Amino acid sequence: MVLRFEDVLEGDEVPTRGLFLAKDQVRAYARAAGQWAPRFTDDEGARREGLPGMIAPGNMSVGLLTALLESWAGAGTVRRIGATFRSLVLPDRTVRLCGTVTEKHVETRTVEVDVWLESDEGERWVIGTATVGLGG
Amino acid sequence: MPLDIDPAIIGEEFDRATYGPITAEELIAYARALGETRSEYTEPGPGLVGHPTYCVRYRGTRWFPENLPKTIDVRRGMDAGKDIQFGVPLRPGDTVELRCTLHEIYEKTGRTGSMYFTVLRFTMTNQRGETVAVVDNRFMHR
Repeated sequence: MVLRFEDVLEGDEVPTRGLFLAKDQVRAYARAAGQWAPRFTDDEGARREGLPGMIAPGNMSVGLLTALLESWAGAGTVRRIGATFRSLVLPDRTVRLCGTVTEKHVETRTVEVDVWLESDEGERWVIGTATVGLGG
Repeated sequence: MPLDIDPAIIGEEFDRATYGPITAEELIAYARALGETRSEYTEPGPGLVGHPTYCVRYRGTRWFPENLPKTIDVRRGMDAGKDIQFGVPLRPGDTVELRCTLHEIYEKTGRTGSMYFTVLRFTMTNQRGETVAVVDNRFMHR
């Protein structure tokens, strides 16, 4: 199902998705994305690089935020996404994927969305914006 | 220290690589690692396409151009962010040509001193010449 442009208003929230970011999921991502490196796959290897433990790749955060938008608006609707990695994303804990519509553009039938990945404590580890094309 | 940049290096291609053909298994493994369950991303068959961000797995053979200003220590670079313009989806059997250019260099001064940012642009096209994605990779260097 693709969300209709007419059904979206500025200020609408994208339904938040809570996700337990398991280490095995991060490893599966690292393998599938060609990023198999100690910092993304094992705690000891990551500590040798000066990190507190294994972390999720920044690309994974972008992928999860894109998936959030597609679960809301439909597959293939995300035209652009930009993200800033503000903090390490640490697995083995729950994160939340969130978004808010900030602008509607009638001429292109697109909406601008602020997106972010936050910790369970509400700290925004990754922030960004996206352009989503809507049908209807 | 101010950056001494040769303007000619901005936009200069410093790497090019070709990948593929892409397999269905690769596309499905990537989508499942993101928790995707949609059939278009996870079920083999004529309708299978890659998750839009699958393109980030392509990154060339050299991370940085060789002629960056010496002020920038590429060994101490951190992944600061990413911007992706999506084009046509990838499908099994596709090949991807990746062209890497230095898109931007700038300096920011914060509480802890100067930081330098480099933006590397990866432009990806498929075997039909269609744009798959334009990915701007932003790195921070202290």
